[in-house]
Amino acid sequence: MKIKLVFLFFSLFYLAIIIRLFFLQVIYSPENKSPYLKTNKLYSVRGRIYDKNNHPLVLNQNGYTLYLEPKKIIDKDKLINLLSDSLEIPEASISAKIDMSKYWLAIQGGLTQEQKDKIDKLNLKGVGFDYQTKRFYPEASLSAHLLGFLGKNDQSEDVGYLGLEGFYNRDLRGLPGFVETERDIIGRPILIGVQQRVEPENGRDLILTIDKTVQEISKKKLLTGLDLYKAKKGCVITADPKTMAILSLVCLPDYDLEKYYLFSEDYYKNSAISDLFEPGSVFKPLIMAAAIEEKKIKPNDIYNETGQVSVGEYNIKTWNDKYEGKISMTRILEKSSNVGMVYVGEKLGNKKIYDYLEKYGFGQNTDIDLQGEASGYLKPQANWYPIDYSTVTFGQGIAITPIQMIGAFASIINGGYLMRPYLVQKIVSGNKVTEIKPKIEKKVISPLTSEIIKKMLVSTVENAEAKWDRPKRYVIGGKTGTAQVPIKGHYDPTKTIASFIGFAPASDPKFLTLVVLYEPQTSPWGSETAAPLFFEIAKQLIVYYNISPDR
Amino acid sequence: MKPFFLRVTWLIVLILVITNLFIFISGIVLSDEINNFELKTDSLRKINLSLEKEVANLGSLKFATEQAKKLGFTNFSSPQSLDQLGYAYRP
Repeated sequence: MKIKLVFLFFSLFYLAIIIRLFFLQVIYSPENKSPYLKTNKLYSVRGRIYDKNNHPLVLNQNGYTLYLEPKKIIDKDKLINLLSDSLEIPEASISAKIDMSKYWLAIQGGLTQEQKDKIDKLNLKGVGFDYQTKRFYPEASLSAHLLGFLGKNDQSEDVGYLGLEGFYNRDLRGLPGFVETERDIIGRPILIGVQQRVEPENGRDLILTIDKTVQEISKKKLLTGLDLYKAKKGCVITADPKTMAILSLVCLPDYDLEKYYLFSEDYYKNSAISDLFEPGSVFKPLIMAAAIEEKKIKPNDIYNETGQVSVGEYNIKTWNDKYEGKISMTRILEKSSNVGMVYVGEKLGNKKIYDYLEKYGFGQNTDIDLQGEASGYLKPQANWYPIDYSTVTFGQGIAITPIQMIGAFASIINGGYLMRPYLVQKIVSGNKVTEIKPKIEKKVISPLTSEIIKKMLVSTVENAEAKWDRPKRYVIGGKTGTAQVPIKGHYDPTKTIASFIGFAPASDPKFLTLVVLYEPQTSPWGSETAAPLFFEIAKQLIVYYNISPDR
Repeated sequence: MKPFFLRVTWLIVLILVITNLFIFISGIVLSDEINNFELKTDSLRKINLSLEKEVANLGSLKFATEQAKKLGFTNFSSPQSLDQLGYAYRP
């Protein structure tokens, strides 16, 4: 009897277990069932970007994608109405996305925590959120071209496009991890079950050479300049000439980083590294420095400027077709004499001109750490006509990028070193900091030639034909440039690219700034547009860098 | 002897059952804690990101400009002038 009772007890016990299992595995509603073996993706945090003083330029922020489960929606019209109010998007847009035959539909991505909380309070059935981080820009679009943006690839993964986001995508993105655990029916981990965890590796943070204050000054002044001179677009690049660490890089018009998708692709292009232009007279000091280095001329050598110069079937003249007779090499730069530069080019010789163009890095990438750089074009020497050697001495007939121009110019005022321009000075991964040192590409001229050309450039600013509102008691060197724009094989006299490149203080340059204005309408000349803009920027930088007066 | 072994066996079985129950309940409690910590960690991470955003906003040039405008600072500040180096040169 006892055995029968025990048998009955065990039979009932097992039956209860079987019924319970059947209930849990077959009858129990799937919506409440937690997967037995649960794998959670552990998201890596994308690296942040800071300026040189550790002020954030790009951070991460909580973001949500709102999704719907149409099968659970009770009142579709009411739901559309409420979501439309909360998200501030038209009802028709939401309605068009809802397909009641589907189980899951993504409605809107990039929602903020505040927007999510607002919708949560509505307590709507069939509405849910997926968590995702999104980029946040504390300084808004202060450095849009520089930073690039974070978009998606065809597998809906985050990918950095253009600028630093594009160039350093692999460093910034990090590696996701995962956790795999056995869970009970209400989602609690079963401790004696499978427990596997692979930690994510967060993206690396970038510390830039950019100074956000210098960036702000450049952007504000460029914005004012574009408006004042009615220019189509413009760029300002400021660098430390000794290292070519970029302190600011602004091109306008730019775009809103938060809403990059609302802008056409034309706005994404960073003119400072991607647009080719004929530099015009800002190029002259490079050829002058080469001729001095090769001992073909000295600053006080005399050239007899009598009139136009013929090269083949072409006539070359000065910008105002006025000629001063006997002038020094320094005066050639001061008055920006094209015919004088043709003379300098002839003294230097065709082969040397070409050699120096290569030495200055034209026709090659500067290898700046930004995505989207164009290398410019330096045609093979065999294809050069005599007129090409003449026009290149005053910066026409050669296509370069603004970053190439400032890099080459830095080499003639920093003692002769062509440096690789760079934007990231440190890459931080946890406690490990990798410093990126300035890199010398090649030596172009000697320190002595560099000192000579600096003095000539100071004289160029002080004795230029145009008079500018310069910071008093400060010695500044620089050169204006006005290049005509080639259109269908001819130059359009009404369209110019006005530029100015200058440095201060001349004795030990703290900054080198290139200003380029495309097609200014108020005046075509660099001396009347880009130069005043440069001095406006220089005045503020002198104060910001606390540079003491030279005189 | 036989009743003694029987009692000892029952005692061992009882201890094992109690231990098993204890481990089972401890496991559930621990699982609950893990679950709570996971949720709290996740929540803290989100709060951290929000705070980071607030701090960055307060230190931004954008915010400084807004405040300067609001407080009328730009109307009363000393001009930065390179002609009067007392302002321009900060020793």
